[in-house]
This record gives sequence, structure tokens and C-alpha cells, in this order.
Amino acid sequence: MNEMTDETSGAAGSPSSSGRSAGAQDSRFAASMAYFERAARVIPGGIYGSKSPGFLVPGHFPYYLSRARGSRIYDADGNEFIDYLCGYGSQIVGYGNPAVDGPALEQARKGDLLNQPHPAMVELAERLVGLVDGMDWAVFVKNGTDATTLATSIARADTGKQVIIAAEGAYHGAANWCSTNVFPVFLQAEQRDVRFFPYNDVQALEALFEAERGNIACLILTPYHHPTYKPQQLPTPEFTAAVERLCRAEGAYFIVDDIRANFRLDMHGSHKFFSVHPDLITMGKALANGYPISVLLGTDGLRKTASSFFITGTYWMSAVPMIAALATLDEMERMGGTARLAELGRVLKDGLESLGLEAGFRARVSGPPAIPYLTFDEDPDLYLNQRFCAAMADRGVFMHPHHNWFISLAHSEEDIARTLEAARSAFAELSSSLATERP
Amino acid sequence: MKTKFMQLSTEEKRVLARLKASLALHMVEEASAADAGLQKICPSGGVSMKLGIRGAGPALGLQVPKISQILPAPPRRPSLLLFFPNTEAAVRVFSGAKGAVIPVPLGAGAFSALAFFRKASSRATELLRAPDTAEATRARLLLAATLYGLEAIAGESYLERRMQIVPDGVVGVRAGEIAFRVAKKGRTIHVQRDAQPGDALPEDAPPAAATGSPHLDALLSFAGYRSAIDVLSGKRQAVVALGSGEVHIEGLLPLVQGLFAVLDRLSWYLGVEV
Repeated sequence: MNEMTDETSGAAGSPSSSGRSAGAQDSRFAASMAYFERAARVIPGGIYGSKSPGFLVPGHFPYYLSRARGSRIYDADGNEFIDYLCGYGSQIVGYGNPAVDGPALEQARKGDLLNQPHPAMVELAERLVGLVDGMDWAVFVKNGTDATTLATSIARADTGKQVIIAAEGAYHGAANWCSTNVFPVFLQAEQRDVRFFPYNDVQALEALFEAERGNIACLILTPYHHPTYKPQQLPTPEFTAAVERLCRAEGAYFIVDDIRANFRLDMHGSHKFFSVHPDLITMGKALANGYPISVLLGTDGLRKTASSFFITGTYWMSAVPMIAALATLDEMERMGGTARLAELGRVLKDGLESLGLEAGFRARVSGPPAIPYLTFDEDPDLYLNQRFCAAMADRGVFMHPHHNWFISLAHSEEDIARTLEAARSAFAELSSSLATERP
Repeated sequence: MKTKFMQLSTEEKRVLARLKASLALHMVEEASAADAGLQKICPSGGVSMKLGIRGAGPALGLQVPKISQILPAPPRRPSLLLFFPNTEAAVRVFSGAKGAVIPVPLGAGAFSALAFFRKASSRATELLRAPDTAEATRARLLLAATLYGLEAIAGESYLERRMQIVPDGVVGVRAGEIAFRVAKKGRTIHVQRDAQPGDALPEDAPPAAATGSPHLDALLSFAGYRSAIDVLSGKRQAVVALGSGEVHIEGLLPLVQGLFAVLDRLSWYLGVEV
């Protein structure tokens, strides 16, 4: 599989190592490693889930971060990086932004988790309902999983139907119904009625709706496809039209899981950016610039069903994240909003693609400019991604090899310029090491 | 939680029996190739035999060449069938307990094949456990056991969905000079053994380089034999070894990570009490 056709890919297909060895980097990450060894004794996997060292390139990335400011992160050993993961997208106006932290910390001193909700909950709900296109009500939760699980549950309860349709490779959270923990016990229960189709494939989607006719509660999609380990895909107009047409005909709800993109594409929601009209929207990540809060937004038609749900969680109504969310929305607009994110992202995208080409690579940045991800067309197995991102990390730039990146409003033109300077050198190193490896 | 054999479903009993039989055969094969003592007692024409387990699918074959043979030797017809009347008997015997097994001679050399198989099985266990076994040999046996174990259980229904979401491809597995290739396609895993340290090859055997290096979608490499032994014997957590750089994965990570999940299932099978 994955046959490669050109000289560069031939070398990529015969790997010997990804740049410098882990051992050579040990001293740079000595504290991270020491913590990790301790963690492995008391925490399953040491670091679990998407933050696991195996998801990065061990030896080139830190395992523990101690602090951050603006666009920079600092690891447990004191190494500094320009950050393009932004707390997996949760940072949008910069780490430690005083416009957000100021009011949030002030509320923390006054009281965060109280018996009853803080008035900020009402203000935030009003703000979001006014801002997010087509939405009439809001329910606050903590993680994206809470929101997507609640959304699909409400859709099921309202329709009285079981089947959830999702795109192959899409991430909607870590609950049993949507996680990659495909143990048979879950397959026979929570995952039994979840069906998948290849993203943007209208025929496959039509076939699935036909096969499950009368049983479909909802279709859940991210506003565009951002699977891990693969280039990102924007929706085709034919696909979005089919989604809305099929949902309408079936009487199934259309859910846009906007947790990840969340205000990075459009201040009125990513569905506005792609001109689609969902019944339910989940948002999170950057909503409060890293303070823990997510939200499920819905249309009037689902208000009654949502009202009949017993929705609760110990921390779901804590005040600080709500205060932070209100401040983040203000700060995003003050800092230039989506237009600036797109502009910075475009400079990065063009620069990386052009530098890659100069060095002889078919490097391609996919996805919207504000949420870019670099892959190499000649290497779908991602050896080159891993080497490139390792080389960038060696140069003080944190770009994830397997997960899309994020631009934040704290990134400056100087950050982008420094990143491209590092990329020039990283591509050269990559090119040179591949030339050496060729027989 | 330990599971007892009697608690297994019919399919699980079948998978476990084939797994145990497959591991026994591959351990004999690897030990025979790596151990000079076994080579000395290997019958002059090599050993060819089968293991049959009623209720567990087609018989499994073993070919052990005498190293002095000029390679490639054509596969010989089996001279012996070791027949187990049921899956429990096979699991018991291959777990070191007493169980019914019927040796069925199929041709000349049946008894020498049986004698060799017994000695080689015992020697393989000894090589795995003895502290003075060369690290390369122990690593090789452990890797073979792990990878052929994956191959043996990949098709079971418990793993069906897992195998569906793991991308197809070939993973190179390396520790020092040990090299295997693990090809995942659909619901099957096929292990290919490349040149191993200690393999006594005839003088006219083609060098490894001349066979070309196929494309690998992912590479799983251990920093050395000791790392492989520690991780594969459970002495060192794989995740810690990965974090510390003793184990390195490159390329199509979901392929390797998907196989880790199959590995969890293998551990479960190997923990079943007879």
C-alpha cells in the first residue's frame, strides 16, 4: 500500500531514524523524563490519551509544560517554544492574556463553584444566542464530550430514533458511543447504533440514509473534516447540500460539532462560514481561552426536549469560565478576530508550502488558514511529518506531527517569520538527511 | 482478572488452542535456528510435521531445516502428525500440563521428528528462561512469540471492529539485527521473518541486502536486545520505554497503535488459566 513515486518518497519509505536520536535529546528534557518515569508508576500510561508521548516524537518534544505566555510555552526543563497547538485549540487570545485572566481571577477570589449559578451564566447564554447564527438556547457543560453526548442524546430523545451517523475518522469525544475504545462490550451497547461514512462522499451518505431509513436520530459532523494523521478536508457544496436534504427528508437532526474550530473561522460559528444550518451546535476549546467550559446550542424546535432533560454536572455551572468566556469574546474582537487569524495563517501556509517546494518536497498545508496542518503528498505514512516536526521542535517551534495546528491572536508577524526561518532550516536538514540515506 | 479455560466461548477456546500451538511451533523453529545444540540433534533431512487440533481449524505445519542443507530446501512432506482430540487437550499440553495427544506417523522419520520436537520445545522454554541465554536469542524468541501470537489471534470476532479501523500496511519490527515484517490486511496479520542474528546460513545464501528493502508503512524499533527483552517480558512498561526512547515508532502510527490493542488481547489469552 501507499506506493511512493518519486525520489524523495523513496527515501522516506526506508526510514532509519527521525533526525537526532532520543538519547541525544535526553539532557534537554531531563526534567520531563524524570516526571514521566514517576508518572508511569502511578498513572496508567504515564500520560494518557492525546498527550501521550507516543503521539509526538519522543526525544524531540517535552512531556510536561510548566508555564506559558502569549504565543510561547515553556517546558519543565525551561525550554521555550513558539506554540502552534494552543492547548489543542483552547487558546485563542494568548496564554495568560490579562484581559481574560483579570476578570476570571477576580471572580475566582469571589467564588467560583457556588450552590446556584452566577448571573454571568445568563449573560453568556444571551451573548452566544445573539452571536451564533440560528441558535436559540444554550446549555453549559465542561468538555466537548459532554456537549456532543448531550446533543446526540437530545436528538435521540426528540426523534425516538436510535441511529447516529458520523464521518469516518471524525473525533467527537471520548465517551463510549464515539470513542476509539472499540471493545466488543461497547460495540454491543453504546456503539451499536453509530454508523460511519467517508467524509464528503455523497453517494455513501445517501446509501447509509437509505439503509437506515426511519431509524436515524441525527447526523453529527465537524464543520470541516479534521481527522488525525490525515490532511484536512473542506466540505464540498454538493456534500453540505446533501447533508441538509437527507436530514430533512429523514426527520433527523443535523449537529455541527464545532468544538475544535470554535470561533476561529467565523464569529457567528463555523456553520456560518460554510453556509450550513444545523439544529444543534457544540462549541468549546477556545470559548474561554482555556478555562474549562463548553456549550451546546440549539434551535427552538428542540428547546422543549432539552428542557425535559436532567442536565447536570458538579462543575458545569462554575462561574470563572463563564466570566472568562465573556472576556474572551470581547478580547477576540479587540485583537482582530477571525480576519487576523486567517491572515496570519495564510502567511504561514504560503511560507511553509513555498519553503517545502524549494527544498524538493510536496509539502501541503490543508484546512482553513487559521487551523493549518502540514502533510507531505509523497509520504502518506507521515515519516516526513515526524521528521519535520521533530526538526522544528529542535528549533523551538511546537508543531504537532499528527494533529492539526492552531493560529492564535497572540501569534505575531515576528512569530510567523521566526517559524518560517526555522522551517527553512528544518526542510534543509530533512532534505540533507534523506540524501544521505539514499543508497 | 484471570479467566479460566472453561469460561471461554467455543471461539475463544479455538483461538487459544491455535495460539498455543502456533507459539509452540514458532518457538521450536526459532530455537532450532538459533541454538547450535538443537542443530546438532536435528535429523539429517530436517524435520517436517503437523499439529492438528479437532475443532480448531486446519492443521499447523512445522519445517525445521538442517542448517547444513543447501537452501532453499523444498518443503518436505510431514512425517508426523500430533493430533489433539479437542482444544482443551491442546491448551493443556502446550501449557505444560497433562493432556491427550496422539502421535500419528505419516512417513519415515516420524519418531525422530517427535523426539526432536520434544527436545526443541523444552530447549526453547529453557532459552527463554535461562539467565545465561544470549540477549539476541532471548529477544528473538520473545519477538517471535509476540508477533506470531498476534498473527494467531487477529481473525477472532472480538477484534473485528478493531481490525477494521486499523489501517492496512506493513510494520517493520527491529531489535538489533533482528528484523520481522508484520503485514496487516483486513482482518489478518501475516508475520514474515527476515534474517536473524545467529541464523546459520549456507555460504551461498544471498546477502540480505540483495533481497531489496520493501516499503514499510511504519517502523517499530527497540534500542537494543535488552530493551526488547524488558518490554516483551513485561519487565518494562511499553509506554515508558516509548517515552524514554528505548522503543521508537515511526511512520503510520495508527497501524502500530492498532496492533498494540491486539497485543492487549494476546496478553489476555496468555493469562487464561488451564
